[in-house]
Amino acid sequence: MTRLRFTRKSLGIPYAVFLLFFVILPMLVIVFYAFTDKQMHVSFGNFIQFFSDPTKLSTIVYSLVIALITTAVCLLIAYPVAYILARSKMKRKFVILLLFVTPMWINFVLRVNAIRELLNWMGLLGEANYFNTIFGMVYDFLPFMILPLYTTLLKIDESLFEASADLGAGGFTTFTRITLPLSMPGVASGITMVFLPSMTNYVVSDMLGNSKVTIIGKFIYEYFGTNWHMGSMVALILLVVVFLSTWLTGGFREDETVRGANL
Amino acid sequence: MNKKRFGALLLSALTLLPTLLFAAGCGGEQTVVLRVFNWEEYIDEGGEDSWDGTEDAPAMIERFETWYEDVYGTPIRVEYSTFGTNEDMYNQLQLGDTYDLLCPSEYMIMKLAAEGYLQPYEESFFDASREENYYIRSVSPFIREMFESNRINKADESDDATWADYAAGYMWGVTGFTYNPEYVELAELSELGWDIMRAPQYHNKVTTKDNVRDSYFVALAICYRDEIEALDKTSPDYNQKLTEIMNRTDDETIAKVEAIMHEMDENIYGYETDTGKADIVSGRIWLNFAWSGDAVYAMDLAEAGEDEEGNETDSTLLNFFIPEECANLWFDGWVMPKGANTQAAQAFVNFLSMPENAVRNMYYIGYSGVIAGEEVLDYVKECYEIDPADYESDEEYVSYDLSYFFGDTVEAGSAVFLADREQAEHRQLQAHYPTQETTARCAVMDYYGEEANEAINELWSRIKSETLDAWAIAVICVGAVLVVAAVLLLKFGSKIDFFRLPPKKGYKLVGQESVRQDK
Repeated sequence: MTRLRFTRKSLGIPYAVFLLFFVILPMLVIVFYAFTDKQMHVSFGNFIQFFSDPTKLSTIVYSLVIALITTAVCLLIAYPVAYILARSKMKRKFVILLLFVTPMWINFVLRVNAIRELLNWMGLLGEANYFNTIFGMVYDFLPFMILPLYTTLLKIDESLFEASADLGAGGFTTFTRITLPLSMPGVASGITMVFLPSMTNYVVSDMLGNSKVTIIGKFIYEYFGTNWHMGSMVALILLVVVFLSTWLTGGFREDETVRGANL
Repeated sequence: MNKKRFGALLLSALTLLPTLLFAAGCGGEQTVVLRVFNWEEYIDEGGEDSWDGTEDAPAMIERFETWYEDVYGTPIRVEYSTFGTNEDMYNQLQLGDTYDLLCPSEYMIMKLAAEGYLQPYEESFFDASREENYYIRSVSPFIREMFESNRINKADESDDATWADYAAGYMWGVTGFTYNPEYVELAELSELGWDIMRAPQYHNKVTTKDNVRDSYFVALAICYRDEIEALDKTSPDYNQKLTEIMNRTDDETIAKVEAIMHEMDENIYGYETDTGKADIVSGRIWLNFAWSGDAVYAMDLAEAGEDEEGNETDSTLLNFFIPEECANLWFDGWVMPKGANTQAAQAFVNFLSMPENAVRNMYYIGYSGVIAGEEVLDYVKECYEIDPADYESDEEYVSYDLSYFFGDTVEAGSAVFLADREQAEHRQLQAHYPTQETTARCAVMDYYGEEANEAINELWSRIKSETLDAWAIAVICVGAVLVVAAVLLLKFGSKIDFFRLPPKKGYKLVGQESVRQDK
């Protein structure tokens, strides 16, 4: 009997099996369903139907807009927070960071319910469904924006700022020429982590928008109740949109500049 | 013992282990397995909330397992799982999950039957002379009539099988509105009927279900209100005509309904599946489209001055309103898929149909069961019968007649009792057990058929989503393409010759740079 030898390659086998069964095969199943009809014949009917139906296109557009606004608002709030936390000489800033992140540890449904009560108390529930949805999403995804920004900003070499000051650059110039460009990997990974889920998180839009706001995730859910083929097609199209946006924001870059940026 | 031998031994031991365990588990006698697939929170789960009210009160499933072994002499194990919507259940079936007993709603039963999934009940199940056949001995004559007169496969004229052949009832009810009489006048509701959904005075104060069939039904009732009201209520085929109207799915109807549903969408507070009960109790909304069982639950909560988590709130009295033109009558029933263990499945249905157990389930889940009989009537009377001595004037109570429901399962005349007028006309009692006058104007919603279903689902997605104008979509698409193109240019533009100026005179390109040419 030969001795079993663990090479590096064989250590990778469990991961390969996992990827095969939980990533690649499901994806193939989705593609299969998307391009077949109810009689399981190959068909482009779903594809054509999707792109000729203004309702479905509108839903994609609305989801994109909601996701864009959510991401922008998250970025606007998170950048200053991350910047202050990373660059200031404050004592115990870890505690502040923790305060921003702790909500993530509380059950999601509970948080959304709390926001619902809050919005009701403010008299907004049922009055401003789109605002409520975006409000809930921003609240929910903010930590995912702060964390990667914080880690990249923290890793910028202190000497760069000294050099910049030496050469006579003011605070603003230093920010635009040094801080911002060097934090772009953090921005990119923050965007990917907020943008994608906010297109599909229909629990927020159902609870806070009283189900009057339909985003693409809800659409997929509803189709999977009645027509798997159309549901798969919508899921596939979402996948393409997600892939494109990740690629455009540089989420696939393997440069060393992104170190620490991806959680 | 050398290592190799030991390894081999260990390996074979591991392989054998499951087999050994299995053999041990089975013991001498074969355990019967019954796979039941039911709605969530749709059976007595024992414990403090149950009829016995003690912490160790056994759940219905455990009681069934004990009972079955006592009666049939073989041990049984129930594998119980639950679903959230009829469509979820259908998907599970399609994925190849096997069950012995399912509890879908009437239209899903019809769909399953039309697609050949179901197995009929055996003849012995309907033999009332056998003691263990509790279902057929105690089912309400009203329900029985309903099940025996509705054909299960409406698409196929030659198929004259009825619901009763394939399904045994479990729970039933009607639809209507739970409302808060503090804000809402009953007279106004009666005048509006289902049009409450579009009434501007209830803007943002009324909800509907986040489910296409219920909303479609409401819109149909609004759409054909005149036609429904013109029907002769005394004619014998009144209900048949009503049912026909309330199941229309032709293109013209769908177009009309779509317009109505858009107006509803503009007016309502929102669509809900579960939050409506809490919202009506807290006063956030005034009117909540509700199934009767949920309405009873909400009224009980509000009256007790509790919210769903059991915190104390102000006690409010909520009412239930069933629009006078018509309402939806619904059922959930037990059906057996092909290949089911019919003996065990039928035994389970019979066990649930023992009037005592029917009361336990009703007490626990709050819906009305299809089972009649003395025990059930006693329970209803315990809840609602009043003593006229407690009342100052005979205006405050009425005689409530449930003979149509209990029929000959109880002593003649005993199903008529005195009830509080408020209860009988506006509150729990009329939601829990509507009168014959109410059920007569209720229509059952059929399975619409594959094609109509698709059309209605598409309609639903149009209602639920905002639809932009074609030009707006075109503009946005072009914009998106431009943005993508711009980003691509920024990223890769420098690598494409086309976008770069040719090198100046005297320079040449080396890689990406222009370099001065040496003379």
